Amino acid sequence: MKIVRKDYLPDGPGSVKMTPVDSDDLWFAYNLILPGDSVMAVTVRKVLREMASGSRDAERVKLKLEVRVEGIEYDKEGGVLRIRGKNILENEHVKIGQFHTLELELHRPFVLRKQVWDSLALEVLKQASDPTASADLAVLLMQEGLAQIFLVGRSVTTSRARIETSIPRKHGPAIAGYDSALNKFFQNVLQAFLKHVDFNVVRCAVIGSPGFTKDQFHRYLLLEAEKKELRPIIENKSKIILVHTSSGYKHSLRDVLDAPSVMNMIKDTKAAEEVRVLKDFYDMLSNDPDRACYGPKHVEVANERLAVQTLLLTDDLFRNADVPTRRKYVDLVTSVKGSGGKAHIFSTMHSSGEQLAQLTGIAAILRFPLPDLEDIEM
Amino acid sequence: MPRKVNRGVDYDEAYDSYDDYDYEDDNDYSVDSPAKVEEPQQKVKKLWSCSICTYDNEEGMSVCDICGVIRNPVAGDFKNSNKKTAAFKFDAPSPDDMVSTRLQSSKLNTQGKRGKQNASNSTDTAVNGKLDSKYSDRPPAETFHGSSGSIEGHNSLKKGILSGQLSDEASGSSNPLKIEGTQGNADDDFSGQKQTAPASNFGKMSLSDKPGNSNALDSRKHKSTAEYHPDKWMLPDKANDTLTQLNLAIVGHVDSGKSTLSGRLLHLLGRITKKEMHKYEKDAKIQGKSSFAYAWALDESPEERERGITMNVAVAYFNSKKYHVVILDSPGHKDFVPNMISGATQADAAILVIDASNGAFEAGFDGSKGQTREHALLIRSFGVEQLIVAVNKMDVVGYSKDRFDLIVTQLGTFFRSCGFKESCILWIPLSAVENQNLVAAPSDARLLSWYRGPYLFDAIDSLQPPARDFAKPLLMPICDVTKSSSQGQVSVCGKLVAGALRSGLKVMVMPSGEVGTIKSLERDSQSSAVARAGDNVTINLQGIDLSNNVMPGGVVCHPDYPVAVARHLELKVRALEELAVPILNGSQVEFHIHHAQAAGKVAKILSILDPKSGKETKRSPRCLLSKQSAVIEVVLNTPVCVEEYSNCRALGRASLRAMGRTIAIGIVTRIIQ
Repeated sequence: MKIVRKDYLPDGPGSVKMTPVDSDDLWFAYNLILPGDSVMAVTVRKVLREMASGSRDAERVKLKLEVRVEGIEYDKEGGVLRIRGKNILENEHVKIGQFHTLELELHRPFVLRKQVWDSLALEVLKQASDPTASADLAVLLMQEGLAQIFLVGRSVTTSRARIETSIPRKHGPAIAGYDSALNKFFQNVLQAFLKHVDFNVVRCAVIGSPGFTKDQFHRYLLLEAEKKELRPIIENKSKIILVHTSSGYKHSLRDVLDAPSVMNMIKDTKAAEEVRVLKDFYDMLSNDPDRACYGPKHVEVANERLAVQTLLLTDDLFRNADVPTRRKYVDLVTSVKGSGGKAHIFSTMHSSGEQLAQLTGIAAILRFPLPDLEDIEM
Repeated sequence: MPRKVNRGVDYDEAYDSYDDYDYEDDNDYSVDSPAKVEEPQQKVKKLWSCSICTYDNEEGMSVCDICGVIRNPVAGDFKNSNKKTAAFKFDAPSPDDMVSTRLQSSKLNTQGKRGKQNASNSTDTAVNGKLDSKYSDRPPAETFHGSSGSIEGHNSLKKGILSGQLSDEASGSSNPLKIEGTQGNADDDFSGQKQTAPASNFGKMSLSDKPGNSNALDSRKHKSTAEYHPDKWMLPDKANDTLTQLNLAIVGHVDSGKSTLSGRLLHLLGRITKKEMHKYEKDAKIQGKSSFAYAWALDESPEERERGITMNVAVAYFNSKKYHVVILDSPGHKDFVPNMISGATQADAAILVIDASNGAFEAGFDGSKGQTREHALLIRSFGVEQLIVAVNKMDVVGYSKDRFDLIVTQLGTFFRSCGFKESCILWIPLSAVENQNLVAAPSDARLLSWYRGPYLFDAIDSLQPPARDFAKPLLMPICDVTKSSSQGQVSVCGKLVAGALRSGLKVMVMPSGEVGTIKSLERDSQSSAVARAGDNVTINLQGIDLSNNVMPGGVVCHPDYPVAVARHLELKVRALEELAVPILNGSQVEFHIHHAQAAGKVAKILSILDPKSGKETKRSPRCLLSKQSAVIEVVLNTPVCVEEYSNCRALGRASLRAMGRTIAIGIVTRIIQ
């Protein structure tokens, strides 16, 4: 995200002009823009004009509008953010109070005006504008008969391709069928790999699978690259890492992000940190269940007793929430930080965030055991 | 006037046609009538048919919705076809009242109507004639008795032979209240002692009215019939072929010698020719792995040979004195446990191979790293009760009795905790490499000095033949699929869980719901005419779209009794010991059931159960820890073919895995969606 102009008071009103530059930025914008804020951007609108003769004429006009946000939609695949609301900027074509939907795309600047820039909003803004934190990683997860390609960004994991075929097992003569089916499968995966993995963008490509499918495919990949002179692969051979995962399903992404070889590449990024924190939480839950809790009620109680060491939250909780709820969570985060704890806000677009969202979206590792939490209704 | 939802297409498949036959038979025995009359009322109590306009009204209505005719005085409308005779019964008042108070009158009614029924039977035969022609691959009705391959034949045959006995039963047990009690509870495992076959036939008739209910009802029907007749149907089978099929899984920790043991067995029993064996030996030597020669008989893929481990379940066949044995040689490496699950779930019994050498047994038995425990538990969760523990590599430890005893004591305690009965476990010390105690008594003096028990081949024969559901509608989970585009056919392979198959039969492949025709059957690469429950066969299907995904994990079933396809299930599970991470609401898991697997999550932990009594000890707990039993809800990302455990055991056994380990095993108690 490129910040063009900043003009705000912390915990006060103000506006920021920014330009999203990669797909992650739209996600940040999605988390930043709340109902009630106003967004100004250049947009295109179809305008009906009445001629003197009485005939009507429709025309697409490019104009600048500012809307009071009522609804916001994120299209992950299309890379578009749609903001619906009432116009508040007088214009010769659009009256005040008319509805309009702004489409925010990459490289289109917009101005976001908020009544209150709270600490969380500023945090998001800071993160979004930090260019060093990018962690673009292409992950190919496979198991025999199933392959999926993911792009792991700073805060968004997008699924790019999914290839599923049935591969016969070995039953006497069917062994020939096995070989050809496996070859066909690899062919398809290779096509998808070439199409979706751009080594100019990603730092490295990870191939993960249980068993030896990854080695088999890696060998096939290099062989085909030699045969067909696939420059991008030959030149970036060293950027391809093999990682052992427990399955080919999406939730095995955590095995990938957890692997030491990958960890080195993306060390300080949010994605890796999230995986680590969540793992800590799970470890605590299995080793000392009284020192870990989840669910808003439990965490709240724990916080009242100043027991929260690490707070885990999904960004989901802030989004589309009404002001008091958001306020509540912002206060929770501030109070945890105030009492010396840490707060991690997980992106629900990552697998770890997805996992946390399954656990009600809020969890905490505690300083000291609170066995009586068990008795409180969730 | 049938309602669209509640009436399926009538008279277009085999089950209907034989029902009609049964019906005729039943008419000869007037004693049956009380039971007959009662049945449909219980089954189809939701609707009653108006006598004037035949509109199906809701149970709660006392007056017809369309024409306003009062409901009660309709109990005798037989104008309609045979189908309608079933319908008339639910227009009697509330079924419950009927059972207790009107029994007498309804009985009279039916007998009074008998003449009319018989009249309508003539139309039935006409219908049946049409049916048979429609169902082209079926022989005409008269030959049903001969065709032991199909369930239909089986039923009419039984009917003929046993109807006398049945009528006795019926009169003896014509306590309709008793029947009603069991009927009301559709998913109960129906004991059916008192259930008479004619009665259940009526169940079937009303069932064809309500396709939605078919699964629960039909299993009941077949269970009840099965209790009367399995032998009758089996007899022709026995005469032709004295051996029953036994699916024997070979499991154990990696490198314990499973494939080598299987290869050696096959070699000793002459299933591998000298020439082949020579080739394996030569190839193995070239790769510098001469000790793997026997394993190569089963590990066929270059990957497996190169790495010297089994990756996929290999299938091999041999005959023992009592059985056609199908060996399922499983991979032992922890990464391939999913393959092991999908391959070995067919097992009726298992050989657990233990590496006796020092350190190797301990490594395999180690809870967090070894696979011995995991495999044993999984095998148990597939429903295997009989286990042969083959303590392999005894040559390495000098056939020491102490070592053997140590292993027996350590494992014995563990098996007890898994729920294996001690009497069902056989312990056999052997050495696959030195050929000790495999197909003949040991020759090595060190082993002879203390071991007096059976050798492995003997032990296989001493296994009890597993019970089979011959008389249920066809169910066959697909283990493997090969497509041949040149011939336009799909070969699917698997073990028949219930029912029977022969070429020419129409079957439905779930979850796609496509109907295809069986072109041929193969067993052990030999074509065979008929396959029954328990057999491991390959069937070549025609008429299935090749581009359509027939995948392992699907189920081949009877077109009238499709298996349920669901993604929201209630399970009763037991968490395994030494869970790395407790199971929480929202935990992401891989779900395995028969040959299917899917990613999913634990949607809710409903309650924790006491492992001994099965009573609920805690509601909606925060998490599920090691060794706890619980009722949980699971939501899957992709739907799978599944049955409730009470209906079909093989399709109701599931296991949950996460992070490369099996975390829980259990059964499906309810299909939610």
